[in-house]
Amino acid sequence: MKNELKNLRAEILEAIEGVSDLSGLEDLRVKYLGRKGTLPNLLKGLKGLADDARKEAGAFANEVKLSVDEAFSALQIDLEAKSRAEAFAEAHIDITRPGITPDIGHLHLTTQAIEEIKTIFSRLGFVQVRHPEIDWDHYAFGALNFPEDHPARDDWETFFIDDAGKAAEGENGKIVLTPHTSNGQVREMERSELPIRMMNINKTYRRQVSARHLPMFHQFEGLLIDKDVSIADLLGTFDFFVKQFFGPERKTRLRPHHFRFTEPSFELDVSCDVCAGTGMRENGLKCKLCKVGWLELGGAGMVHPNVLRAGGIDPDVYSGFAFGWGVERTMMMKGGINIPDIRVMYQNDMRFLEQF
Amino acid sequence: MNILASLNQIKTYLKGDISPEDFWREMDEKSMSVEHIDTLRERFAHMVIGEVKELKAHPNADKLRIAMTDIGNDVVQIVCGGANLAEGQYVLVALPGAKVRWHGEGEHIELKETAIRGEKSFGMICAPSEVGFEKVPCGEHDIWDLSTFIDCAAGTSFVDALQMDDVMFEIEVTTNRPDAMNIIGLAREAGAALSVDFEMEEVLDIPAAEGEKALNVLVKDDDYCPRYAAVVLDNVTVGPSPRWMQRDLLLAGYRPINSIVDITNWILHTYGQPMHAFDYDKLAGAELCVRFAKKGEKMLALDDEEYALKNDQLVIADANGPVAVAGVMGGKESGTTEATTTVVFEAATFQKTSVRKTARALNLYSQSQSMFEKGLSSELPMHAMKKAVHLAIQLAGARVVSEVYDVRKEAFTPDVKTLQPERVRKLMGVNLSDAQMLEYLTRLGFEVEKAGDDYRVTVPFWRTDIEHDIDFAEEIARLYGYGNIQPRVPAMAPPVRPADKGPMEESRLKQLLMGAGYTEFYSNSMLSELDFIRYRLNPEDAVKLHNPLSSDLTHMRTSLVPSVLLGIALNQRMVPAGRVFELQRVYTPEKNDLPRESTELVVAHYGFNESELAFRQLRGALDLISVRMGLTFDLARFDGDERWHPTQSAVVHFEGKPVGMIGAPHPDILTSFKVEKEVMFLVLDIETLMPHISSALHYDAPPAFPSVERDLTVKISTKKSFDEIEAAVKNIDGLVDSVRFVDDYRAGLDSGMMNLTISISFRADDRTLTSEEVDSVMERIENALRA
Repeated sequence: MKNELKNLRAEILEAIEGVSDLSGLEDLRVKYLGRKGTLPNLLKGLKGLADDARKEAGAFANEVKLSVDEAFSALQIDLEAKSRAEAFAEAHIDITRPGITPDIGHLHLTTQAIEEIKTIFSRLGFVQVRHPEIDWDHYAFGALNFPEDHPARDDWETFFIDDAGKAAEGENGKIVLTPHTSNGQVREMERSELPIRMMNINKTYRRQVSARHLPMFHQFEGLLIDKDVSIADLLGTFDFFVKQFFGPERKTRLRPHHFRFTEPSFELDVSCDVCAGTGMRENGLKCKLCKVGWLELGGAGMVHPNVLRAGGIDPDVYSGFAFGWGVERTMMMKGGINIPDIRVMYQNDMRFLEQF
Repeated sequence: MNILASLNQIKTYLKGDISPEDFWREMDEKSMSVEHIDTLRERFAHMVIGEVKELKAHPNADKLRIAMTDIGNDVVQIVCGGANLAEGQYVLVALPGAKVRWHGEGEHIELKETAIRGEKSFGMICAPSEVGFEKVPCGEHDIWDLSTFIDCAAGTSFVDALQMDDVMFEIEVTTNRPDAMNIIGLAREAGAALSVDFEMEEVLDIPAAEGEKALNVLVKDDDYCPRYAAVVLDNVTVGPSPRWMQRDLLLAGYRPINSIVDITNWILHTYGQPMHAFDYDKLAGAELCVRFAKKGEKMLALDDEEYALKNDQLVIADANGPVAVAGVMGGKESGTTEATTTVVFEAATFQKTSVRKTARALNLYSQSQSMFEKGLSSELPMHAMKKAVHLAIQLAGARVVSEVYDVRKEAFTPDVKTLQPERVRKLMGVNLSDAQMLEYLTRLGFEVEKAGDDYRVTVPFWRTDIEHDIDFAEEIARLYGYGNIQPRVPAMAPPVRPADKGPMEESRLKQLLMGAGYTEFYSNSMLSELDFIRYRLNPEDAVKLHNPLSSDLTHMRTSLVPSVLLGIALNQRMVPAGRVFELQRVYTPEKNDLPRESTELVVAHYGFNESELAFRQLRGALDLISVRMGLTFDLARFDGDERWHPTQSAVVHFEGKPVGMIGAPHPDILTSFKVEKEVMFLVLDIETLMPHISSALHYDAPPAFPSVERDLTVKISTKKSFDEIEAAVKNIDGLVDSVRFVDDYRAGLDSGMMNLTISISFRADDRTLTSEEVDSVMERIENALRA
């Protein structure tokens, strides 16, 4: 019996030596160790042995079974590892093949800029409102301290609405495509309770077209009216916006300017990012983008007493500031977007739109 | 308006020196925007006066010659194509290292020693335009002959030879400040900005007449001409003006013409008062009458063009007709020439709007007109006239031979306003002393007098822009310096008020559509008449522009569909398929009121293969909008019209009212927009839906027990619509939770029949369903559908 066991062990160990895959190993396991396999068959003979002999053969049989099991499981582990490695090799991915971009949509650059500007000002308590894009010239001009004969009210600067060949007229004067979002100022004063912090973002229209000017563009208007509002408040608001929108390293300044509806009036400058506000490039040449380190962002001013009065507000009690600038211009100044001809903005070329 | 100002000329009106750097910085921050600075010694570096000693033919080029040119320390060889080149001529030589613009065009290029067609050339002999003097008269192929313009030796630097050691500033003066659009005005501003004393030059009165030349001066309408001054001068020699004056004019961008014209231009540039000089002998009836043009009158102007005048255009006329368009341009025939011996100087004030409208109507512009249309003080003409007469006496040997005519609507009374220092302090947010405020105002020429807590301020005549007490705040604040004010974020409590719903919800909708894979179109809100007709819309029903800029932008759009179709037509070749949307305002006219502005949404698919699939995808987009915007829509089949496809479109209803369309446009519409791709639209009237849009959140507990899905394929008439089937299935048993369309298959079936596959979901709230339960319901469903 013992010899038979020895021989069987030798046979099994030799047999599994030649096995190269898991299914071959499984076949051998069934053949030798399965319910009807060689080893269990052999062990059935134990019953017929005498007690002592059975005891001895039993112990040896156990030893044989253990060693064979061990050999089987050792090889099992090896073969599993090998098969896994083959499967991995099979699953090899070429990581250099181009990506497949998720099929998302794109918001227009102007929409994106409006969202960003709006978000920053809303943090200062400005709420977005909507006022007409096509409005009475009273709101676009008259209430904003523009005299009747001001050139901006001429046919060649502002679009007027037609009525049977004549400029349409009603109770509040002619009807214009608003050349600025400032028509919202007096409208807001008329409808709102004080104090006011509003932003009016809208389409605006001027009779111009070139690589840098479009007949339709967008303006962003901010209006704050409260007691004791000063230039310092405007400066602080402007500075807050610039540092949020353009970056904390950017500086701001006001320069004197002239607008009919503000007094004093300013132009708002932002330090140039290309030359870091120095006006000179690293190569020693003058910076071509800016004016001595400054870029012009837009206009602003302290609301003119005549405008407050037009909106039914007592200028002896309240004061305020207003600012307005071009959305497209502000966006382009942010850098990184180099659009040589602004006319591409509203032509809907998908190859343009899908870049943003 | 941009002014070219010489620092040297400005400094003649200031006591104390100022550096170009200080001038630039202080003016920019406290007065007027400095757009450009030009240091002439740098600009004209490596440029010297040369004398052409010898001219030789170029061996390899017919049009070029070799000029042996004395440049002081050497005689060098220069190849030059100047047609007027002559031996003995004094010329401007740009040596290697100088920066010039070839033929006055393009960028500045640094010269190098070179060879031209095999001949060495040490620099170049320049034409005026090549060094920035476009206004110097010079033939097209000529070089600048300086022989009569300088009296210094060869080798002298150009900047010294022309006495141009100066710094030029290009200054943008705002339209409300015509008083600063000249040298004296800028000097006054500089004095205030830099705290340097400004000093106006003393100009003597016009001497008494030495002869008697009659002149009849008449002003018919003094509302349009508040002041008209004129004086006759004889014994005038009209020749070149002196070099200093020509230099001043050249640097300021004027073309030197002759001594008399140059005086008027110099006065305009220095004093800011436009003037005109007539040839006295050419004035019929020795008359100057300021009146409106008569019907049919014409005038040949100094620009050699003839202008037909209208009766709302102010002219200066002699006995025969117009000799000048008032404030705009003089007539050719009455202008001064070299032969003129007797001139009439005119210095006047014309009403600004009338000048502007006349110039626009005639399309005739001039430096004078651009000044008049800003509005000039009627005090200014006599100051200018005095200086001009003295210059004419000094430079052209003139003699005063008439009284000084001065027709004036009314005497000047200076404006007086109130300065409230407390108000200024509040507005600035700075505790500035009264004394400092007065100092600023005084430097600008205001006269200030104490009046209680406030001050009475007399406005100097030139400050036509001061309209309101508040204007002093600006004068004071800017001179204090905005950079000296400490910024502060407004500390007051912000108002509590929600943002307007429209813009807020529209931006949510845009985000939603972007997330769903749509690209936003953004088009001009103006369309052409043709675009309306292409979409079978009547342009008569749209807001029409009274003064459109071009014929393709004449009406405000009443629908976004034409814009989107134009966009698809533009893209179809390069981007053959796409999913896009536009969410913007459209405009409809209202009788006797502002047009109605309303928001519309157009979502479009184009370039797809299967119409029904595209329709379902758009319907899916509508479902998404419905869920996220809190709206419930119903569709009703639409039998088509001239805009919509007869079998592929439906009306979108909200609460029983139509609020949009979904489906394919009529093929004729696509043809008229030259769209070659299939298109499917979803159009929604967002304005009408806006009050119902809600972002309120709603929670449904997820079902506690799983659902069971079963597919079912039945042969059925193609006429049977899915919603009928869905309703029938749902009606059979309460366990049916939902019915989904899977597929339909028509191949191999009789016409009008299809194999429809649907997927049915079963669910109970209180238990897990057994397959026996589901089988039994399925059987009833099958029987019902087959019946």
